[in-house]
Amino acid sequence: MLACIRIFYIKMKYIGKRLLQLIPILIGITFLSFAMMRIAGSDAVEEMYNVRESAVSEQVIEAKRAELGLDRPFLVQYGSWLIGILHGDMGKSYISGRDVFMTFLSKLRATLLLSVLSLGLTVLISIPLGILAAVRQGRLTDKVLRGLSFLGNAMPGFFTAMVVMEIFGLKLNLLPVISTGVNLKSAILPALTLAISMSAKYLRQVRAAVLEELNKDYIKGLKSRGISDRIILWKNVMRSASLTIITLLALSIGSLLGGTAIIESIFMWDGVGKLAIDAINMRDYPIILAYVMWMAIIFVVVNLVTDIIYHFMDPRIRLGEGEDS
Amino acid sequence: MNWKMRWLAGFLLLALLCTSFSACGNLRGSAESNAGSSSSEKSLVIGDTSFNTSNEEPDVNPHNAYSGWACIRYGIGETLVRYSDDMEVEPWLAVSWENADQTTWRITLRDNVTFSSGRKMDAEAVKECLEHLISVHDRAPSDLKIASMDAEGQILTIHTSEPNPSLMNYLGDPYACIIDVKAGFANGIVAGTGPFIVSSLKPDESLTLKKNKKYWDGEPKLDQITVRTITDGNTLASALRSGEVQAAYGIAYESYPLFQNDDFNLEQISTSRCFFAKMNFDPSSVCSDPAVRKAIALGINKEGFVKSLLDGNGTVADGVFPSGMAFGGDRVQARDYDLKEAARVLKDAGWVDTDGDGIREKNGQKLVIKWLTYPSRQELPILAESAQATLSEIGMDVEINSTADQNEVVKDPSKWDVYAMANVNCPTGDPQYWFTVFARTGAAKNQGQYSNPDLDALIDRMSVTFDTDERNALALKMQQEVLDDDAFVFCAFLKMSMISQAKVKNYTPHACDYYQVTKDLDITR
Repeated sequence: MLACIRIFYIKMKYIGKRLLQLIPILIGITFLSFAMMRIAGSDAVEEMYNVRESAVSEQVIEAKRAELGLDRPFLVQYGSWLIGILHGDMGKSYISGRDVFMTFLSKLRATLLLSVLSLGLTVLISIPLGILAAVRQGRLTDKVLRGLSFLGNAMPGFFTAMVVMEIFGLKLNLLPVISTGVNLKSAILPALTLAISMSAKYLRQVRAAVLEELNKDYIKGLKSRGISDRIILWKNVMRSASLTIITLLALSIGSLLGGTAIIESIFMWDGVGKLAIDAINMRDYPIILAYVMWMAIIFVVVNLVTDIIYHFMDPRIRLGEGEDS
Repeated sequence: MNWKMRWLAGFLLLALLCTSFSACGNLRGSAESNAGSSSSEKSLVIGDTSFNTSNEEPDVNPHNAYSGWACIRYGIGETLVRYSDDMEVEPWLAVSWENADQTTWRITLRDNVTFSSGRKMDAEAVKECLEHLISVHDRAPSDLKIASMDAEGQILTIHTSEPNPSLMNYLGDPYACIIDVKAGFANGIVAGTGPFIVSSLKPDESLTLKKNKKYWDGEPKLDQITVRTITDGNTLASALRSGEVQAAYGIAYESYPLFQNDDFNLEQISTSRCFFAKMNFDPSSVCSDPAVRKAIALGINKEGFVKSLLDGNGTVADGVFPSGMAFGGDRVQARDYDLKEAARVLKDAGWVDTDGDGIREKNGQKLVIKWLTYPSRQELPILAESAQATLSEIGMDVEINSTADQNEVVKDPSKWDVYAMANVNCPTGDPQYWFTVFARTGAAKNQGQYSNPDLDALIDRMSVTFDTDERNALALKMQQEVLDDDAFVFCAFLKMSMISQAKVKNYTPHACDYYQVTKDLDITR
């Protein structure tokens, strides 16, 4: 009992420690982003007035800069933003004037739906096909699947988007070309586009992971004991290969939750990726910093969750216990 | 898993797929009904690449953001005056105007106009609107120069702080849409006098309009319009082809062939959005040599650029303003494309190729032109490459710097010799704006440090000249000064296109790009 409590305490301490690491990461990454935007030159006011390619006087530009606080020294601007964050205020967008937190939150629903759907489709496509390619290694099925995977990898995302749009939107007329809001019907084409690109990549990796396990000695041992191929595949091979698959999926979740700007723009899917790209183009610092924070948080949390899942999938992997022993 | 379970799983999967696809339904059918074929109401969906926050159009409040074009563009608001196809000022909400003296304007307003809020549009309402505009807007105070206003019935008297002959032109700018400020600005929605009223607005997503049944100029033909924000030009083309939108603004050139058939209307008009190159007069720049500037002006193949590279989606520019206007480029003398003459000019000025590498030199300095431009206008890098090709034939080495950071680079005169850009040269139909901003000594956008005392004197004269004919004559003289100095090379004016399904009527572009939705916009069943 005492040992159990001790292990639980160590695990909680480990999780708390990992979450605390977020604080220096967030400060560091936002500071660097802020500095890099400044080094990149130009600012929100200049971009705003250049959008229409009509000219305004320097006085007007300076007045607007003063209004937004962009005329203050770099460290003062960053410090003021940081103080705001500590008070729960992420500021207002320089371009739209809308509250950053609410703007970001309004786009998050679309990103979450698209991430879940595309990840689900990727799992449904890549894992069965990857296993199939591995168990039929060298046969026609394997060759065809590897060929398709090569094709999927070679096609850039925007091209895949155009192809699925042409087939499902224009030729078959089954799905909308442009999103009609955050709903399942509008999410299918962007999710399918993302899933095709990701599945092409993961199919090969699942195949490699399964093949690696299939070639291990213990599998030969199991076979010699007369255990059926199906049981070996699902109870032994997949359990071991799942660590590789989980790592891949974890990385995908991180990048998907960060938004997929090109796909979002093509299908007019109003997610955080498109918001971030627009903000970068317009030098809208408050939105950019909110996005950077979001990215840092999701990668830290996703990595942590992955480590915890590792532990449950393979108890040989310890969570922070080595640090205390 | 036994066979029963397998069959059950298969059946469930099939049912799921069938349900999904039946839920998707036939989209073309739904789009058709949206277009009004199955209902008694006539509605239209317009796809537009420009209606979004990044383009400084977060909502339809004309006093918000830099431009505030959405209010006028989508038929929500109207201005006191409007521009004709030749960009001349015509009455709209104002029926007439006169100058009592150089700083006093008496404007008579139309008597039968009400805002969508129900309030009558009288001089007091217009005064309140303009007062609010100049208190919140960046550009309006310096453009309008309004010192005070008096309102009496339908007569509005404006007193300006200094003579402002362009006042009525500026009152046609989209920011000067007359709105009922007492009705408020909730969520960026305003009450205007136009043929349509906002029923809902989702920023960066869509705008829904319904007909203004009490519109002063007759009942609008459509009952409802939805403006969909679609920022990607190719997606917009696909949406128009699929019928999800019936009219489109902002489709990329390369998609035009898809719509050059009987199923669609493709309407084009030349605008004053100009692609031009400005020269750097700083002593450190090779362009401080008049012969180099003249050779560049002679060495750019404008005709080839417009016909071959823009595929006819532009018109050749001679002067600052498009041909056809009272002070248009067809009335000034610009340099024609002539490589032989350009080579002769350079040779006479001492620029010769002594080492046989194809690049001319003078006093040990190679004739290298640092050509600055930016990629956000797809035509500009193409123009740079076109100039690079033709100028290399006369021994000039053009180094292109196409960067999104052009505003920073242009501040350093040692980093560029030619800066090619795009600009709407005549946004209000008045010629003074361009010279004041780009060509006057020390002007905001005169980064090339061009200075011509004669031109400055002409600009000063224009700023106190109220007679239209005299202003037009001055504008022609000023253009000729700029052209004779080879301070700028005007290459092309953009042709703007609007595309719609054949059943859409009166979706036509206008030279100023402001009046997209009108009461006459219609769709046949």
